[in-house]
Amino acid sequence: MSDASRLEALALAGDLPGVLLDARRLAASAPGLHGRRRAGQGEAFWQYRDHRAEDGARLVDWRRSARGDRYFVREREREAAQTAWIWMDPDAGFNWTSDAARTTKLRRAQTIALALATLLNRGGERVGMLGHAPRMGPRAVDRLAHDFLVPQKDAVAPSRSCVIFFSDFYAPVETWRARLSAAADAGASGALVMVADPAEEDFPFRGRTLFVEPGRRSETLIGRPENVRELYSERLETHRRAIRQAGANFGFPALLHRTDHGAAPALALLIALVSERFA
Amino acid sequence: MSFGPFLFGAPGALLALLALPVLFFIMRATPPPPQREQFPPARLLEGLRTDDQSRERAPWWLVLFRMLAAALLILAFARPSLAPQASDSPLGGRTLIVIDDGWTSAPAWSEVRNAANAAIAQAERARAPIFMLFTAPSTRPRDPGEALTAADAKSRVQRLEPQPWRPDRADAAARLARTEGNFDRIVWITDGLNDAGAEALAAELQRRGTVTARIPAQTARGIVSGSVTPQGVVIEARRAPNGSAVGAVTAETAEGRSLGAAELQFQGDTLTASARIELPPEIAARAARVRIVGEQSAGAVRLLPAGAGRPFVGLVDPGGAGQPLLSELFYVDRALQPYASLRRGSISQLIDARAQALILPDAGRIAPTDSAALQRWLEAGGLLVRFAGPRLANDADEFVPVRLRPGSRTLGSALAWETPLSIGAFPADSPYAGISPPADVQVRRQVLAEPASLEEARVWATLSDNSPLITAQPRGRGLIVLFHVSATPEWSDMPLSGLFVEILRRTLAFAARTDGAGEREISGGPFVARRLLDGYGSLAPAPQDMQPIAPEAFAIAQPSPATPPGLYERAGVSAAIDAVRPDDSFQPLQLPSGISRAGLGAVIERPLAGWLFGFAGLMLAIDLMIALLLVGKLPRLPRRAHAAAAAVVIAGLFVFGGDAHAQNANDPTQTLRLAYVRTGDSQIDRASEQGLRALSNILTARTSVEPGPPAAVDLARDDLSAYPFIYWPAPPSPRRLPDAALSNVDRYLAIGGLLLVDTRDAGADQRGRPAQTMLSGIDVPPLEQVNQEHVLTRAFYLLRSFPGRSQSAQLWAESASAASSRDGVAAIFIGDGDWASAWSGLAGVSDRQRELSLRFGVNMVMVALTGNYKADQVHVPALLERLGERRR
Repeated sequence: MSDASRLEALALAGDLPGVLLDARRLAASAPGLHGRRRAGQGEAFWQYRDHRAEDGARLVDWRRSARGDRYFVREREREAAQTAWIWMDPDAGFNWTSDAARTTKLRRAQTIALALATLLNRGGERVGMLGHAPRMGPRAVDRLAHDFLVPQKDAVAPSRSCVIFFSDFYAPVETWRARLSAAADAGASGALVMVADPAEEDFPFRGRTLFVEPGRRSETLIGRPENVRELYSERLETHRRAIRQAGANFGFPALLHRTDHGAAPALALLIALVSERFA
Repeated sequence: MSFGPFLFGAPGALLALLALPVLFFIMRATPPPPQREQFPPARLLEGLRTDDQSRERAPWWLVLFRMLAAALLILAFARPSLAPQASDSPLGGRTLIVIDDGWTSAPAWSEVRNAANAAIAQAERARAPIFMLFTAPSTRPRDPGEALTAADAKSRVQRLEPQPWRPDRADAAARLARTEGNFDRIVWITDGLNDAGAEALAAELQRRGTVTARIPAQTARGIVSGSVTPQGVVIEARRAPNGSAVGAVTAETAEGRSLGAAELQFQGDTLTASARIELPPEIAARAARVRIVGEQSAGAVRLLPAGAGRPFVGLVDPGGAGQPLLSELFYVDRALQPYASLRRGSISQLIDARAQALILPDAGRIAPTDSAALQRWLEAGGLLVRFAGPRLANDADEFVPVRLRPGSRTLGSALAWETPLSIGAFPADSPYAGISPPADVQVRRQVLAEPASLEEARVWATLSDNSPLITAQPRGRGLIVLFHVSATPEWSDMPLSGLFVEILRRTLAFAARTDGAGEREISGGPFVARRLLDGYGSLAPAPQDMQPIAPEAFAIAQPSPATPPGLYERAGVSAAIDAVRPDDSFQPLQLPSGISRAGLGAVIERPLAGWLFGFAGLMLAIDLMIALLLVGKLPRLPRRAHAAAAAVVIAGLFVFGGDAHAQNANDPTQTLRLAYVRTGDSQIDRASEQGLRALSNILTARTSVEPGPPAAVDLARDDLSAYPFIYWPAPPSPRRLPDAALSNVDRYLAIGGLLLVDTRDAGADQRGRPAQTMLSGIDVPPLEQVNQEHVLTRAFYLLRSFPGRSQSAQLWAESASAASSRDGVAAIFIGDGDWASAWSGLAGVSDRQRELSLRFGVNMVMVALTGNYKADQVHVPALLERLGERRR
């Protein structure tokens, strides 16, 4: 990790408890996911059932069977074979807000991601940041939060996994199409969470303005921003439509969230999008 | 340079207007910088182009606005003024230019000159002859009937300088009346002030032609009186209603160095204002003149001749305390107090303090070591005034003007034939000439001079039998004056009479001044001009051919060519003729209706520079707002400003709050502090400090008395009055207190302080010895042993004994009868308990004993703070007993 990103991570770590708190509060108010409630691969006891011929002698639970005349087989509850992977946009422009009083897009995305992780964790699922190990157990959410301190690296999603992309999706459509198709090729599906700042939606600028993309050198000088507002929202809409289209094609339905709105509806929507994967 | 009705004081600045077009293109080409915004979807904006014009160039209206501001600024720098020219007078024909060339015109002299030149230029264009009339008196008045060419007139105006006196218009009118012919155009450049002859001159001018009067906007002001007082230099200034109401006055030395200044403010419509330049007496004595700052005229200067100041006089103190009425210096002191700054000291001290004169009474000795210094001081111009007496009569030294016969002459004693003599009339060449000696002042005894030595000295005063009474002799640049009688009424009545004051004052006029000390002329005679004022108020050496002025003429001299204002000297006394007489009036010029009035050159002009600067500044401020608005930064400013202001205020609170707190804890006038006397012995001091600290803690814990940290005091140096209780432990080897400490302690006890003297020797054999040494010199009142009836036993705790380090400490207090002036509250307690070490626990006493000892300390502090408040409890047992009896 370079010094700069370490510093950034430290700065972010200072805010971690806040994010975690926000996420817990958010998760508490969310409609929750439940466990599988059926037999399968897992640790927890599920039920005893009668021994069937095709089970073979190895599966007989002798301790239970010794108490009666019948043979019993001990079944465990089926546990999630799946892991929810989080992809967090590392772009400088994502960690940005138009108004210092409002939370940045990144922080909001992390809040939603951690709230989701809390819920999934409660349901016994594994969560992880793409490129890191999946986290489980009571400290899973905290560890995931720690993983967030390291900027996202591009990594191939494991096969048949669920990947949730948190980003503002301002990168060119081709970039996203490539990224999503790589994930889809690996058999992953999931969701796209588009986090947007209200300034990006409403374009409230007036007077000669030099627009600078954070973290990049490219600058665009607009003489009368108030006059190009229509044009801008048109472009934004086109771009978003292209992203949504790409997402739909590859199995990643998209949802849009504005940082000046509450996070709960977005979380609920996100749960709705991913819950069938964990049903 | 004039431009229509506009005049430009600095027309060169207008050249900058040429640069405006360049400025226009530069400003047009440089649009205001855009605001920068971070914007993540900036990529989406790429290629968006809207209105190219507004992006590349500054908006035209902004450029126009800035151009206007720049033009205004340039115009303002050119110092424009609006001056509608008086153009109602016909241009051609015979032109008479009348100029008031007194000092009253001096402040606006360049305008006077400009106005005169303008009038000459107009006449020159019409090729008309020019006549000139100067109204101020002059030794050789010009003939107003002389026709001048424009060149001559110009050179005459160029050479013309204001005179240091005021115009005499009646005389000018008379001179004009002697000429013939009428004038087509008369320009009267006046000073704007009225005088007795103004009406006559106006009438004469009107008879001879059409008159235009050019009047300055602000008339001159003058200082009508000035004097040096003990509080500083006091002046009174006068003005006409259209004279400026504000200003400043400054006091200067003879060399022109400023000593101090004060504001001069005419309240409302008043025409007279006074100001006081506050100076310490010895500095004020060096003030040679006062002037109104920035007003260059003879009237704005007031000369403070040597006699007018308060000379710094040293009284050589023979030392020793005597009864005041018998002190030799008493009468001199009383006589000179109003007129001089006096200081007592030894000869060398006073010379070092740069005394201008020394007064040496008979008892004052000239020590051999002082003799050389005194000689040098005299050579440099000092004035030594001596008084005779028994010592001088027997043993004269070298610092006397005449050789003295040994012994003194006694008049009118039981064994003498001669009767006491009165003082003879003062010789004409004496500085005292003019004073008539009162007949009832009699001289009973005097020292006599050797007749031969009188040749070298001057006799300033004699007795009625012509024997010298006051003699003087120059010594180098200095002067020695000897009074042949004593400075007390013992030898003569002189010190009791008003004559004494008058003679001393005139004598002190010879006190060394920094200027002209060397040219001192001791004889009388006429007043000789030393330095003369010119019309602008600067002093220049008087010309050699100046006629001296007889004293009688001097007294009534008005400023005029024959008696010009300036500094004069006679018999070493300098005096001044001032350009302004105290009765000078300052009234605006009254002109008959036929005379048209016009401003005097630039004086009546309305300067526009200020307005232009103001407008330009305002426009630039607006421009700044516009620029901010364009950049879009305006709405964010206030929030930052608020934050900054809040930060400053909070920081200030921290800084000042901290200070205020720190001050409270250690200031004995803010917080009660127990004090102990610093003995110099570190062990005792530590015990005292810790003992009092322990006592303070106990007081804070158990009573409503909450003392601050204990203070160490030095009896000799510190102000004890802030401490209600002082603990004084005996040092290992007690010494007698220095005198300063003794008086300090006496004062402390008198104002109600409480002193606990601790001899720290309980149980020792020689009890009382240290106390005797410690207290020797202090006015110790009668003491009595503190018994069970004493208020100390019940001030807070009920006590039976006062244990310190030893169980049985003795304690004595000022007896109630001695303390009757303080309502019976003892001011001094003396004991041997070594209490501080008991309080501090350093003595290693038992806890019980320490507790009892601390209780004693609490009671002691209570007595110090509340006095005999609890004394009536002393009677409680008796009262209870009596109540019980009645009930039974």
